[in-house]
Amino acid sequence: MSDNNPFPLPVPPPIPGRASAGLNLPLREALDDRVPVSGFITAIESILRQPRRIIYQLRQEGQSGLIGRLLVIAVVCSLVYGVIVGTFSRSDQLYQFWTAPVKVSLGLLVSALICLPSLYIFSCLSGSQARLVEVFGLLAGLLALTTVLLIGFAPVAWVFSESTKSLPAIGTLHLIFWVIATCFGVRFMHAGFNHLSAQSSAGLKVWVIVFLLVALQMSTALRPIVGTSDTFLPVEKKFFVSHWFECMDK
Amino acid sequence: MNATSTSLNLREIPVLLRGESEPINESIQRCTPGRILLYFAVIFAGAGLFGAAMGCWRAPLQALYTALKLPLILLLTTLGNALLNGMLAPLFGLNISFRQSLLAILMSFTIAAAILASFSPLLFFLVWNTPPLAQRADLSGLAHSSILLTQVAMIAFAGAAANLRLSQLLLRLSGSASIARGILIGWLAGNLLLGTQLSWIFRPFVGSPGLPVQFLRDDALRGSFFDAVIHAARHLFFQ
Repeated sequence: MSDNNPFPLPVPPPIPGRASAGLNLPLREALDDRVPVSGFITAIESILRQPRRIIYQLRQEGQSGLIGRLLVIAVVCSLVYGVIVGTFSRSDQLYQFWTAPVKVSLGLLVSALICLPSLYIFSCLSGSQARLVEVFGLLAGLLALTTVLLIGFAPVAWVFSESTKSLPAIGTLHLIFWVIATCFGVRFMHAGFNHLSAQSSAGLKVWVIVFLLVALQMSTALRPIVGTSDTFLPVEKKFFVSHWFECMDK
Repeated sequence: MNATSTSLNLREIPVLLRGESEPINESIQRCTPGRILLYFAVIFAGAGLFGAAMGCWRAPLQALYTALKLPLILLLTTLGNALLNGMLAPLFGLNISFRQSLLAILMSFTIAAAILASFSPLLFFLVWNTPPLAQRADLSGLAHSSILLTQVAMIAFAGAAANLRLSQLLLRLSGSASIARGILIGWLAGNLLLGTQLSWIFRPFVGSPGLPVQFLRDDALRGSFFDAVIHAARHLFFQ
């Protein structure tokens, strides 16, 4: 092509936020990364649109405020989604309106706390330089992103809650939504560890399986989250697979 | 860190877990009382927590006993084989002092204990979700197997990760893969022999519903781990 072309090819304008979204760019090189995350709305927007900004901010000193905000977002969003979960059984038991949100929120937080030590150890084994507080921050980010996405699914879940009486069907639907949301949360966490010099992701993949198993078992330990029961917590202890089979047989 | 410091620097544990060559080499070359104290503390706390999770299924007292016994087995195995391991290293071609070989093995057990500590909340959660021991015979058998398998998998993972870091350290110190492999196999064989027998003596860890909760069985020193394995194999294949 001649350099003297009087009609140069049009260059498309840069897409806003594109540089920040590039995963290969080191943290701090994009200007967006360095903008502090203040407020809850900014935190939600950042974790959805600019996850690198959250990851960068978590690496800075004194980010307990941001971690706290992410946790509050996770708690509030899980409580809201829990209300939607509770609508399925509200005609049979009105108190499901408060037990389901409490169980969803509590189960998610306790599962994360149980898995936090192993996440830190796996991150160290994979060569990551992340400190415990950074790992905690990434886990809080995972929870926040997962629950924010669950809020996105909430209207669909509510429509199904109102229209079906099948416990296995609604349980499976909530499970699918949770798995999809968790996949995005895990993707955020993986991106975080990639920026924290992790040399291998094998340990983190194992951890994700452990976390999923713990969360699934937690849903059985706190049952019923969807159905009805006379007691807040179950009397009999069961593994989640056998509980699922029993629900399917009903 | 100050060479004569006796304070516990917990930041050394992530360094061990990451297998960072320079600081670990320095740890092996320069042994301080603080570092040894840290390794002992992590082994006692980490293996102790995991032991408590193992024993709590049977009874709280069993949890306390196992929390004491598990770290004791690791430390007694390290100390019991210290002389042999110190002699094996030069025989295989690595000229490190007795103190350095002891520190290297202690370091690998520290890594294993730290990993076990991180697994202990998971094991506590698993035990909490399992029907109590001997509540129902059929359930207990299944639950016993699943808990046992989980424990074995966790301990195997911790042991594998610790030995991976140990083999990396030996490779760096010796500069030869064959020397490092020889020493590692020699040390592992010795530790396996003593460690299994100590585990046999210190049984029970999980406890049995038909037997009382005890720190040591009345016949603790009778028989050996290998006798039991041979007996079980005979029972399985020839009867």
